Amino acid sequence: MEEQKRSKAKLIASGLIPFSFLIVMLVYIVGPGSTMIDLGVALPELTIEKIDFIESEILVTVRNTGPIPVDVTVADVNDRIQPAAMEPDKHLERFETALVKIPFSWNEGEPYTIGLTTSDGTRFEKGVDAAALALKPNSETVGFLLLIGTYVGVIPILIGLMWIPFIRKISNQKYIFFLALTVGLLLFLGIDAIEEALEVSSESLAGTFNGPLLIATTVLISLFGLYYAGERLTRKSSLTKLANPYSVALMVSIGIGLHNLGEGLAIGAAIGLGQVALSTFLIIGFALHNTTEGIAIAAPIAKEKTFIRKIIGLGLIAGVPAIFGTWIGSFVYSPFTSVIFLSVGAGAIFQVVIVLSKWLREYDRSFSSTPVVTGIAIGMLIMYLTGILV
Amino acid sequence: MLFILVVTAILTTFYFAYPNSSNANTGEKTFLSHNGAVIKTTGDILDPVYLPQTVEFDPDKYLREFNYGRVSKLSDGTTLREFTIIAEDDKIMEISPGVFYNVWTFNGTVPGPTIRATEGDLVRIHFINNGARSHTMHFHGEHPAEMDGVFEIVGAGGGQFTYEWIAGPVGVHPYHCHVMPLEEHIIHGLYGVYIVDPKEGRPQADEMVMVLNGFDTDFDTENNFYAANTIPFYYQHHPIQINTNELIRVYVVNMVEFDPINNLHLHGNLYQYYPTGTSMVPSTFTDMITLSQTERGIMEFSYSYPGKYLFHAHKVEFSEKGWTGLFLAKNTEK
Repeated sequence: MEEQKRSKAKLIASGLIPFSFLIVMLVYIVGPGSTMIDLGVALPELTIEKIDFIESEILVTVRNTGPIPVDVTVADVNDRIQPAAMEPDKHLERFETALVKIPFSWNEGEPYTIGLTTSDGTRFEKGVDAAALALKPNSETVGFLLLIGTYVGVIPILIGLMWIPFIRKISNQKYIFFLALTVGLLLFLGIDAIEEALEVSSESLAGTFNGPLLIATTVLISLFGLYYAGERLTRKSSLTKLANPYSVALMVSIGIGLHNLGEGLAIGAAIGLGQVALSTFLIIGFALHNTTEGIAIAAPIAKEKTFIRKIIGLGLIAGVPAIFGTWIGSFVYSPFTSVIFLSVGAGAIFQVVIVLSKWLREYDRSFSSTPVVTGIAIGMLIMYLTGILV
Repeated sequence: MLFILVVTAILTTFYFAYPNSSNANTGEKTFLSHNGAVIKTTGDILDPVYLPQTVEFDPDKYLREFNYGRVSKLSDGTTLREFTIIAEDDKIMEISPGVFYNVWTFNGTVPGPTIRATEGDLVRIHFINNGARSHTMHFHGEHPAEMDGVFEIVGAGGGQFTYEWIAGPVGVHPYHCHVMPLEEHIIHGLYGVYIVDPKEGRPQADEMVMVLNGFDTDFDTENNFYAANTIPFYYQHHPIQINTNELIRVYVVNMVEFDPINNLHLHGNLYQYYPTGTSMVPSTFTDMITLSQTERGIMEFSYSYPGKYLFHAHKVEFSEKGWTGLFLAKNTEK
């Protein structure tokens, strides 16, 4: 017993000793009295994350994304100095954000550039293509966005689910084709989400966040996390060698739901930024696009005894997040959360792709039969073609 | 274990997404800004307003400060005016509220001291360069070639040179450092005003100097701030006090770099304008002059009615970046 305790202590100590050396080294390099890293000039960096136009005022969300704390000293609109207020205060620690309020009678539809100058005189700016009144969360706008979210997310998916009777009646070969089609659709959606996340990060996320690596990390963590959770879930409940079709369909729904949350964010943000024409295209495009997502949920459960309530439930899990997305995107948009949502969604989708692929291998060991290959290819093509509309 | 990781990840996400949500603030304050906008906020105000007690360079003092030098008479009756000018280039000055910039200075200020002599005086300038770079003094006006401050480079860390010439011609002239790269030396602040008075003098007036200048604080060859006498918006908040029916004489020198022109518009009045101040006869009666680099002249006017009168660049970009001010004309009691 004593022996065991001592060896455990030894183990812990041997694990901690390298850490203590690391600390000693860090103290030596950056500790008091050290002049070792007193090289070069640390430059301030501000990132303007969001610009909202409200009645006679412009609201600017700014984040200190540089290596040093900064003081914001001057705000300008179109490179002309304007008096402004900054809340909670003008001092920004690293990563801290603040709200700059600039009283300004802006004109609808005109482009504006907002600039902020730090105490060393460096100016940082961000442009808006066309000013439009920011949406306020009241019953009218909340209802309007609810409607759009429903059009984009819920209804198309429910329409897609109406293919279940059709898929049920077709032969096994053709059923495999539909499962493979689902894999193709999902692969496309996953790539699409990553691309979207990369776009948001390059446009609005500061360099310090390391956008692409943040996305890669989040995608892989969500992929492995969900895979781990999914395996546990199916191992407990599975009656057959195959994964329970309902749990697969549920995972597909959750994955697509996360994806639709991201789509909702894009639509909501576009409406919030006043890009109304763009929103119309987004809405039509997403509606067509999302019908195919219904098929993706339908395929795994088509051969099972199905209850209409369960099917609708799955459809709602996949579709309703689009509504939340439009709300978040319009009212409390932040590029960081947007990137995280999109990346988690991509990871969830890839997780479903893995599960479905394992399933397909039960039917087709070589993974190279005609229905599998054509299914995946056609699935991606359908997505690409309907995606052009967006 | 997994649970802890997930919670940590979520909390970290929220920390980055909404890091300042924990800062509770109460009490809303109301501010009146430099352009009249009323701002209500619980936070800080961003407005280039200088309080008199915080100003590092005092535009009010500079406005009416003329340096006539240490005066002595030579045996032939010529007046000798001696000046000592020290150049430095390590000063960090608050050029607008909260904005700090490395200014290069003659006698510690931007612009340098206004040097004033009468036509025919002997001007002697003891120049000491205490900077870390080479500097010179190059005066516009008449002088021998070797007094031009172009080829006679004065070394860093205490180098000395004595400039000497007979003052002339009559007028208002700039002086500045002429070491290469010239633009860098000028935009950091090595310039000032040199006035040569006619022997018979000019009519009695309330005299002032305005150097129109700018600062490119982010080094993108575009000025971030403009001003009359260095501090943006200063005279807007601290109107220049003048009397009605009194002759006002402004020596104005344009030292703005990068922008090809600058201009000066006076409200509620017109002025007699003497380009370069070399003639006793005004060339034009106007409320608007256009000035290119180092172009300068003398403005003369007087107000009949009391009140606040704007003067500013009618290149409005400059005025919205600080080059704007007010005259406050008060009734003279007689």
